[in-house]
Amino acid sequence: MADSPVPNLGEFEHVVLLAVLRLDDEAYAVPIADEIARCTGRAVSRGSIYITLDRLETKGYLRSRLADPTPERGGRAKRYYTLRPRAVEALKESRRALVALWRGLEGKLA
Amino acid sequence: MRFLRLLPSDLRESIEGDLVEEYARVRARRGVLRARVWFWWNAVRLAALFQWERGVHGRPLPPIADEAPQRITFVEGLRQDLGYGLRMLRRQPGFTIVAVLALTLGIGANTAIFSIVDAVLWRPLPYPDSERIVFIGEQRPKEGRLNGPVAPADYLDWRAMSTSFSAMASATDFALNLTGGVDPQRVRALAVSPAFFDALGVSPARGRPFAAAEEDPGRSHVAILTDGLWRGAFGARPDIVGSRVVLNAESYDVVGVLPASFWWPTRPQILVPRAFEPDERTQRAVHMFPVVARLARGVTPAQARADMDAIGRQIAERHPDTNRAHFPHIASMREIVVGETGQSLLALLGAVVLVLLIACANVSTLLVARATARRKEIAIRLTLGAARGRLIRQLLTESVLLAAIGGGCGMLLAVGIVSATSRLLPARLLMLPGLDRIAIDLRVLVAATVATAGASVLFGLVPAFTASADRTASALSEGGRSGGAGAGTRRARSVLVIVEVALSLVLLVGAALLMVSFHQLTRVSPGFQAEHVVTMRVTLPLARYREHSRVVGFYDALVERLQGVPGMESAGAVTMLPFSGADQHANFIIENRTAESPFPVRSRPMSVTPEYLQTLRIPLVRGRYLTPRDADGAPEVVIINDAAARRYWPGEDPVGRRITFDFGRPRWLEIVGVVGDVKHRGLDADAEPEMYLSSLQTMVVGSVRAMDVVIRTSRPLAAVAPIMRAAVSELDRDQAVGPVRPMEDLVDESVAPARLNLWLLVAFALLALVLTAEGLYGVMAFLVTQRSQEIGIRMALGASPSRVLRLVLRQAATMMFAGVALGLAGAFGLSRFLASQLFGVSPTEPAIYVAVCIVIALVALIAIAVPASRAARVNPLTALRS
Repeated sequence: MADSPVPNLGEFEHVVLLAVLRLDDEAYAVPIADEIARCTGRAVSRGSIYITLDRLETKGYLRSRLADPTPERGGRAKRYYTLRPRAVEALKESRRALVALWRGLEGKLA
Repeated sequence: MRFLRLLPSDLRESIEGDLVEEYARVRARRGVLRARVWFWWNAVRLAALFQWERGVHGRPLPPIADEAPQRITFVEGLRQDLGYGLRMLRRQPGFTIVAVLALTLGIGANTAIFSIVDAVLWRPLPYPDSERIVFIGEQRPKEGRLNGPVAPADYLDWRAMSTSFSAMASATDFALNLTGGVDPQRVRALAVSPAFFDALGVSPARGRPFAAAEEDPGRSHVAILTDGLWRGAFGARPDIVGSRVVLNAESYDVVGVLPASFWWPTRPQILVPRAFEPDERTQRAVHMFPVVARLARGVTPAQARADMDAIGRQIAERHPDTNRAHFPHIASMREIVVGETGQSLLALLGAVVLVLLIACANVSTLLVARATARRKEIAIRLTLGAARGRLIRQLLTESVLLAAIGGGCGMLLAVGIVSATSRLLPARLLMLPGLDRIAIDLRVLVAATVATAGASVLFGLVPAFTASADRTASALSEGGRSGGAGAGTRRARSVLVIVEVALSLVLLVGAALLMVSFHQLTRVSPGFQAEHVVTMRVTLPLARYREHSRVVGFYDALVERLQGVPGMESAGAVTMLPFSGADQHANFIIENRTAESPFPVRSRPMSVTPEYLQTLRIPLVRGRYLTPRDADGAPEVVIINDAAARRYWPGEDPVGRRITFDFGRPRWLEIVGVVGDVKHRGLDADAEPEMYLSSLQTMVVGSVRAMDVVIRTSRPLAAVAPIMRAAVSELDRDQAVGPVRPMEDLVDESVAPARLNLWLLVAFALLALVLTAEGLYGVMAFLVTQRSQEIGIRMALGASPSRVLRLVLRQAATMMFAGVALGLAGAFGLSRFLASQLFGVSPTEPAIYVAVCIVIALVALIAIAVPASRAARVNPLTALRS
C-alpha cells in the first residue's frame, strides 16, 4: 500500500501532518495539539496525538529529533517533528484531489 | 511518576517534558489541585496507551475514536473483527486448542450420535405408512416373554379370523445353497407368506410378487431375488425374471427382483414362499416364526389388540392343551426390531448431551478467565473512545469464531464417526433400521454450535462488560487492591465448575455401572466350554436327503471322519447351536401328569449326535449321556437340562419319567439323563428348559437336515477349517457349507453390543473427566493469581505456607463437595434409565458411587495441585509490589 499513488493516510494523520507543516521548526507535541485545536476547533486527546506521531514516524512520513533539555520542562528535552519528502508528496496529492473535487462546488454549499 | 516508567524509552523523556510543560499551564489557569489531577490522569492514560500499543498489542491498534471509526462499512468492520479475532486465538494457542478440542468433541459426538439415533429410532422405516406395520408374536406372561415365535396353525387361524389387518404374513429366516449357473454359495433366505409384500407395502421392481396359490407345497418353487443378489450373483441379467435357479438342489422359477431400497432386519438375499405341509397346518405345539401384518385403514392399534385378544381366547378355549398359556401380542415393527438397543442408544444420547454441557461449561470458564484478563484491554479501548457497540461486536465475533471452528471440526468428526459406524457395529446390531441412511443432521450440528456459541457469549461477554462499565483508572491498573475480578465473575466460574463436576460424576457413575455389569456378564459361564471348539453350519437339501436315514448317515459319517483326524478331540452336531440365534420351542406332555401345571409345559427341543454334549463339555448332572446305541429300534430317549428338571419335576428325580412332543399319537420318550444349563440366548438370559433328542432316532420335532457341526480340537482355526470343508465335500461334492467359526466368537458376539456400549460410555466419561479436571485447574490457577496479593499479605503477617495451602484447598474442596453432592443426586435419579442394560449390578450400588467419588476427588486433587503449590510459594514481597 505504501507505493500506491493515493497515500494511505487517515483523516487524523492528515490533520497532524498539516499541523506539523504549519509549525515549521516549532513542531513538538504540545504546540501541535494547540494548533489543531485552534484550527479545527476541536479538542484532541494527548493519547491520539502521541500515537499518531509515533505511527507517522514508523510509516516514514515524519522525522523526529530531540532538542536540548530546558529547565521549564524539568530538564527534559523536546521532541521536534519535521516532514519527510514523502509526507509532502502525500499532502500535495491529497490536496490536489480535494481541490479537484471541490472545484465548482462552492456555489452549492454557499 | 511511576506510571511514566511504562512509556516507551525512546518517547519517555519528551512526553514527560510535554506533561510538565503543560502542567504549568494548567496550574496557572485552574489551580494546583486540578492541575495535579490533570497530570496524573494523562500520565496513566498515556502509560496504558503505550503499554497496549507497543508492549502488549505489538502493532497499531484498530482505529481509535479520532479516526472516525463509525464511518467504516459493516463488511470492512467484520473483516477487521475476524482478523483481530483470529489473531487473538493465535496468540493464545493453549486456550484455543483446548477450547476448540472441547467444542469439537462435544459438537461432533452429539451430531453423530443424534444422527444415528434419528436414523434408527425416529425416522420412519422404509415402507409406505410404516407406522401401520406391526409384528404379532406370542406373549407368555408366566415366562416373561413378550414376543415369541408363532405356531403355524395359530397363524392360519389368526389370518382367517381377524378383521383388523389388510395383510398378515409369516416370515422365517433360514439359509439356502444357491447353485446352478452361478458360483455355489450359501445365501440368507426368507420364507414368506404371499401377503408379505402387501403387509410391507413393497412390490418387486421387476416381475411380480408371490401369488396366493404359491403357498401350496406343490407350487411353491418360485423365488424373488433382492437387488443385491441379482447384481452380485447374476450380474444384473435383464432376463432374470423367468429364468431358473437351483436352491438346495431343487429348481426354482425366478418371478421377481426386489428394488434396491428393500430392507428387512435380517437382510435376506432371496425370498421364497412359505409353504405349509398338511400336517403343519394343524401344528400348534411347535412355535416357528414371527408374523408381520399391516393394520387395515381406520383400525387403531388398540382395536387390533382387542380383536386379537378375542381371537386368542377363542383359540385357547378350543385348544387348551397347547394354547392355554399364551396369547397374541401386537407390537410396532420398530419396537421389535430395535428392541433394547433403543434404550442403549437413548442412554448414549443422554451421555453425549452431558458431554456437550460439560464442554460448554468448560469453554465458558475459559472465556470468563480470558474476559477478566482482558478487562484491561477493554478499559483502555473504552478510555480511548472506542464505541461500545463496536467492542461488543468484536467480542461476539470472537466467540462465534471459536464456535464456528469447533462446529466445523465437529462436523468432520461427526462424518468420521457416522461413516465408521456400519464398519464398527457388531453383527448383532446390523439389523437395526436406517443404518444405510444415516445422514449428518445439520439441524443438530447448528443447534449444538449455536448452544456452545450462546454459552460462550453469555459467559464471555457479560464479565467483559461488567468490567468495562467502570472507566476508571483503577480498571486500568489490573490487580488493584479490590482483587481484580468482581465477585459475580468469580461466582460464575465456581458455578460452572460445580456443574462440570456434577455432570462428569453422573457420566462416571453410568460408565462404572456398565463396566461392572459387563464384567459380571463376561464372568457368567455359558454352561459349556467354548474354548477350542470350532463350528460349521451344514444344510442338506431336501431333494437329495429326503429320508431320515440318509441325513443321519451323512452326519454320522462326517463326525466319524472328523474324529479320525489327528488333533481332533471329539465332534458332534446339533440342530440349534447356542448363541447362533436359532431358537424354537415346542410344547410337550408329561406322562401321567393330569394336574394343571403352573407353567406352560414347553421346552427347546434339539436333536444332537451322541457326542455333542461331551464335545461342548456340558456337564452331566444325573443319569447318562446319549450313546450311539440310542438309534432307531432302541427305546426312544431324551436328555433334559437342569432348568427343565427344576421346573417340571421339582423335588423329584426326572430320570425314568416319560414325555412326548406328539399330541396326536403319543410316542413316549424316556428321560435318561439330566445335564447342566446352557445360556442359549445369551449370557444375560436365564437358562430355559431344554431337551436333547438323539438325531439317530426318527425325528418327531423339526428336521435334522440343517445342523451345526462342532469340533473340539487343539489345532488352530486356520488348520481346522480346510479339514472340515474337505470332509464335507468328500462326502457330498455338491454340498455347500457355512463359515467355519470358533465357538468363542459366537459367545463373544453376543456381548459385543454391550461391549460397544460400554466403551462409548467409558470414552464419554473419560472425556468429561479430563474436561472437568481442566476446568478445575483453570479456576484454581485463576483464583490463586487473583488472590496472590492477599496471600502475600497473609504470609507477610506470618501465615505459614501450609496455612495458605489449606486456604486454597478449602476453596477447591467447597466447589468439589457442592459438585459431588449435585452429581450424586443426579446420578441417583438418572441411573434407573440404565437399569435395563445392567446385569448383576444394582443401578444404585453404593460401592460404585463411593468409588466414583474417590476417583473424582483424586483427579480434582491432581488438577489443583499445581495452583495450590504455587500459592504456597508466593513471595510476599513480589506479591505486594506487583
